Amino acid sequence: MLRILHGTNYDFIRWWKWAIGLTLAFLVIGLGSLLIKPANYSIEFTGGTLLQVEFIAPADAGRIRSTLERAGVHGAEIQQFGSNREYTVRAQDAATVRAQGRGAETVANRIESVLRQEFGADQLRIVRTEAVGPRVGSELRRGAIIAILISFVITLIYLSIRFEWRFAAAAIVATSHDIIGTVAFIALMRLEISLTIVAGLLTVLGYSLNDTIIIFDRARENLRKGRKESLYETLNRSINETLPRSILTHATALASTVALLIFAGEVLRPFAWVMSFGIVTGAFSSIYVAAPVLLWIERKWPRKTGARQSSSTATPTSRTRRSPATATP
Amino acid sequence: MNLKYRLLIIFGLVAVSLWALFPRTVVERVKRDGQFVYDTVKRVPLKKGLDLQGGMHLSLEIDESKGAVLDKSEAIDRALKVVRTRIDEFGVAEPLVQKAGNDRIIVELPGIDDPRRAQDVVQKSAYLEFQITDETQALERALPRLDAILKTRKLPTGPATGKPDSTVASAGLQSLFTTDTAKKADSTKTDSAVAAVGGPGAFSSLLQQGQMPGEYYVAQTNVPVLTQYLALPEVAAVLPPGKVVRWSSDTVSLGNTVYRPLYVLDAKPIITGEFLTDATPNTSPQEGNLVQFTMNNEGARRFRAETARHIQDYMAIVLDQRVMGQPPVIQSAIGQRGQITMGGKPLQAAQDLALVLRAGSLPVPLKVVYTTQIGASLGQDSVQKGMTAGIIAIGLVVLIMIGYYRFAGFLAIVGLVLYLLYTLAALAGFNAVLTLPGLAGFILSIGLAVDANVLIFERIREELALGKTIRTSVDEGFRHAMSAIVDSEVTTALTAAVLYQYGTGPVRGFAVTLLAGTAASLFTAIFVVRTFFLVWLNRAPDTRTLSI
Repeated sequence: MLRILHGTNYDFIRWWKWAIGLTLAFLVIGLGSLLIKPANYSIEFTGGTLLQVEFIAPADAGRIRSTLERAGVHGAEIQQFGSNREYTVRAQDAATVRAQGRGAETVANRIESVLRQEFGADQLRIVRTEAVGPRVGSELRRGAIIAILISFVITLIYLSIRFEWRFAAAAIVATSHDIIGTVAFIALMRLEISLTIVAGLLTVLGYSLNDTIIIFDRARENLRKGRKESLYETLNRSINETLPRSILTHATALASTVALLIFAGEVLRPFAWVMSFGIVTGAFSSIYVAAPVLLWIERKWPRKTGARQSSSTATPTSRTRRSPATATP
Repeated sequence: MNLKYRLLIIFGLVAVSLWALFPRTVVERVKRDGQFVYDTVKRVPLKKGLDLQGGMHLSLEIDESKGAVLDKSEAIDRALKVVRTRIDEFGVAEPLVQKAGNDRIIVELPGIDDPRRAQDVVQKSAYLEFQITDETQALERALPRLDAILKTRKLPTGPATGKPDSTVASAGLQSLFTTDTAKKADSTKTDSAVAAVGGPGAFSSLLQQGQMPGEYYVAQTNVPVLTQYLALPEVAAVLPPGKVVRWSSDTVSLGNTVYRPLYVLDAKPIITGEFLTDATPNTSPQEGNLVQFTMNNEGARRFRAETARHIQDYMAIVLDQRVMGQPPVIQSAIGQRGQITMGGKPLQAAQDLALVLRAGSLPVPLKVVYTTQIGASLGQDSVQKGMTAGIIAIGLVVLIMIGYYRFAGFLAIVGLVLYLLYTLAALAGFNAVLTLPGLAGFILSIGLAVDANVLIFERIREELALGKTIRTSVDEGFRHAMSAIVDSEVTTALTAAVLYQYGTGPVRGFAVTLLAGTAASLFTAIFVVRTFFLVWLNRAPDTRTLSI
């Protein structure tokens, strides 16, 4: 039998202060970077036009830009896509969006015709076009926010049915941490926030919650066994007991997302980044956010001694209070 | 549960899944030599989304820049009718036109080549004409010459079927004009088609006399060929002057064959849609379902004069060059108010016709609010990359599972194979569309499916470590892992459901595959893999070691 990290007894939670400090620093840096440079929203959310153009001969980005400027399409972002024969042109400034109020395709058609004039009609091929009018953009934006909020509320309700409120609240805090952390990651990586990224964010939500649930499920079971130990110890034990599972599951999940990252191509890459980060942060938060928060809640609103079933002796309860207390200043 | 029943359920589902995924023969439009033709295609019933096969998506709204529209929902219905009518012009395999909400139309055109043309056609305003069907047998008189033209000319492409053994070829080709139909049908099977070699009656053999003067039935499978013939300049020159040839928007089934009526009409319309002010469906006790319409003053004057000349003639209602429904007969001169009785047809048909009349009289200007167009090569590329990523992900999962859990890992992988099968079958069964994010969701759910197995196997290991027997350990392992598995699958499913409800397009594809994936992984982990264990334990009841 091949075993990794079996029967371990690490004191994971001991390091919670370091972990919280680290994650807070990451969140501050990530979200702070949004203040310096605002998030990169895809045209699905802002409205605008995206064109992917393939040229027969290598083309120069500067020439494309000047051509567009002359045609009155200002501030378009021109990016090389793979080779120097393929470019994406992204126009999402206010003027473009306003122009598309009359018909979403107008700007795309203008860009296409000026490029054909400049480079020759048969010298290029439009591989992909996306044009979003202002109303659709705001609708999609609203839809995405609603989707995130609703799935949050639904999972919260499900959790509070399945677990007692202390566990549910701690799981929610851990999951929120992951969502915010992923947003910080998106900001730092300068990923473009698109519908697919929102879908990725929601999957991270599900995945991270799932991970916390596994550990809490074990903690719930260990509590029922009524060992003479503090909640701190119970949680540590639960984390250790589920460690092989965590390692293996995260390894396979990461293997899938990294395969997507490397092989699935440009279109899915941002999504794969979000998922890969989500798996890492989900594993981290289940240990270093969910557990300390649960202990904090326990200290603030200690459960009645009767609730700990057979273990309602004086020692474990007092230790429950003491252990995290010693770790807090 | 009895082991026999467990196995029965598993293999029953495998059989159903295989059946759901078995490549089946469907008639669809395929592109050949730049022309769209109907052909039988054998394919797996899993549809690819626009991002994987290339194509165009359009969201249209009413353009209110030249005046507000009061009843948007009604106006959208009219516009929808027009867009639907025109969709055949695009010549795409499976176009989708639907109303989204109360004020939007969604058009999806897979594999479209020329986005600009598609947009123009969709946005062009509707044109309604009333035209009298031909009573002079003008087409019959022109037939010998038409046949002769086709005989001398080398045809651009063969009719309906390119493959000799195709089943569609024999369907059409019955004709009132040629007598030896049986022979023709036979020769079609061996040679690509009679018409293709320019045999006698290439043109006339495609036609069958309809129920009224100027109406001809053409087998659906021959429609593309005849359309091509009609587009030839030589053919157009020989067609009777002062007449136009128009297809019907409907099809008629006679026996096993589906026909599309073709009409020869007087080129000059007796009236056009601009004179029409309103049309409503109604039901009268005497005449059944009918459509009542009103003309404005000038329209009434013209219409009265024209209908008086054409009593007992048939009047085709033509929207955008398509004859809508069967032309009604003119019974008396009609002025300002007229009615069309539906002759026993359901109220739905009356509502439909009224919609056609309103659509033609009050055109709805549309504007594009959202459009995406993806080249077929890009889609092809995405499929290839998605497949590569999927195969590598699966390979890694297999490696990890068998490497770590050995025999139990092998059972889990067999479970995973069934999981893949069930998920794909569920997707095919729900008519889900496979998109690029959908592929990602699929790959992701493989990772999650493995999690359930890992949970169970770790539990079994713990039970074994406590010194329990193998049988008890397996039972306890599954029992204890259950709550964690159910909790995690339910939370994932809930997120997926929300995504499905609020997502659009590709995100929906992601949600559907994730939903199907969670359901299948729950079933395979707690039922299928468990059954495998039970089978193994039954075969070797006194086994001492479990390779896990």
